[in-house]
Amino acid sequence: MPYDNPESSDPNELIGVELPGDESVTREMAAAFADEFAQLGWGRSAILALYRTPEYAGAHRSWQLLGDEEISRVVDESLKVWGRFRCIVTDAPEPPVEPRWEPLRFFR
Amino acid sequence: MANVKNWQLGRDMTYPYEARYPSRQFAFVFNINRCIACQSCTMACKSTWTFSKGQEHMWWANVETKPYGGYPTWWDVKILEKLEEANPGGQVWSGKPADNRFAPYGKFDGQTIFEAAGRALTPDSARVLGYLPTDEEWNAPNIYEDNPVGKKGVRNTLHETGESLPTHNTWFFYLARICNHCSYPACLAACPRRAIYKRPEDGIVLIDQAECRGYRKCVEACPYKKTMYRGNTRTSEKCIGCYPRVEGTDPESGGEPMETRCMAACIGQIRMQGLVKIAEDGTWAEDRYHPLYFLVHVAKVALPLYPQFGTQPNGYYIPPRWVPRPYLRQMFGPGVDRAIESYTSPSRELLAVLQLFRRSNRIIFRYDIEEGPKIYEGTLHGRKVEIYNDTIIAFGRNGRELFRTTVEEPVHVRPAVHANSI
Repeated sequence: MPYDNPESSDPNELIGVELPGDESVTREMAAAFADEFAQLGWGRSAILALYRTPEYAGAHRSWQLLGDEEISRVVDESLKVWGRFRCIVTDAPEPPVEPRWEPLRFFR
Repeated sequence: MANVKNWQLGRDMTYPYEARYPSRQFAFVFNINRCIACQSCTMACKSTWTFSKGQEHMWWANVETKPYGGYPTWWDVKILEKLEEANPGGQVWSGKPADNRFAPYGKFDGQTIFEAAGRALTPDSARVLGYLPTDEEWNAPNIYEDNPVGKKGVRNTLHETGESLPTHNTWFFYLARICNHCSYPACLAACPRRAIYKRPEDGIVLIDQAECRGYRKCVEACPYKKTMYRGNTRTSEKCIGCYPRVEGTDPESGGEPMETRCMAACIGQIRMQGLVKIAEDGTWAEDRYHPLYFLVHVAKVALPLYPQFGTQPNGYYIPPRWVPRPYLRQMFGPGVDRAIESYTSPSRELLAVLQLFRRSNRIIFRYDIEEGPKIYEGTLHGRKVEIYNDTIIAFGRNGRELFRTTVEEPVHVRPAVHANSI
């Protein structure tokens, strides 16, 4: 597990990409996470916690860039559609298991 | 070299062996719009298969931050560069994505790793263009991206606020990866011992540990870098597709084919695994109501990872909708624009099929939809949304129903204590 940040002079370290994103990309990223987790049935507080938790770096970075108010608006927009419903999953009954007969064993 | 049909490239290509296809093929679809890199899949695999001495560096399943992370480091950048060196300016596609099942993404005019080997490698016996990662490159499953380690020198702690995670001011996404159990495996093609084989019943690619002598040709050849060398046994190892679960012999499976550990552990419900029917020519046989067939060949929302490598991988991805298209086109081929359009404006059937993800640990072989009434019509992000109360029913191998999902508008009952609190 590396404990140090990569050295900036290391030629093998990727320091950027040629396709920078703008605010619309960040906004789309934020909206995607809100849509996906609203469809999974998550509630408002659970989705907002995802953005506010630093370890979920993707959602969190969009929260840092757009702000809590804007992210709350994005989440509410998604919940307005997907939060109205919840998906009900019903498992089919398991088929009956045939009993396995085994000879009696004696233990001493 | 034999001539084989690669439907993902829309043309024939050369491969060291004659084509032989399984009756069914292990395949999967990952919806990476949903992946938050919780690494549950990574740890499920690690704790099941690679927890032993000598396997410390092995992560058969991993999630990496693209474009920054990689395991091993920069695996895709390195092989893409090698292909570009072998065929400068020629790694391009022609034609357009079409409904044609034999060339759904157009035609790849460049060189695969098998074809480029003849140009770029000496001696002539070298069969696959590749490279051997260094020990440092195998360091971590998502190096520098998922290691919010605590203060330097203090073990077993985390920074509670995650401040040691790198900050990317531009787009990124998480790419979950396992072995693609390719139809034309590069590892199998490169093995001088013929120790690697593809199972005829499910297409899972395995390394025969008794035959392997640890030459690491498979590690060098696999463009996805999903074969790994184990120093203490001096053999190579790779993802085994949790085959006891897939074949239904795992005690937990009750005789029914069951999804792998990494699929079953996914809390983001991004994964669906299946066994698709393969036609005699190696293409997917028409199986209209198989969920993976629908996602790949009907809705066309799921695309193979780096199809230009030529191994015909059996892992498919619903691409992340926010990522700049040129990057996605390089990673998933020319079908990206159509896939994102289809995903962001989903058809009624696609919305229903997406409900099948991770609802059961059993492998789904067929689905059926009982249509219900329209329950919502509106817009979201400027796009029209229609929701129907359709019931989608999933069936297992023997045609037995596994589960059904439906949609309901929740009714919230005010508790008696607050009955008149308004």
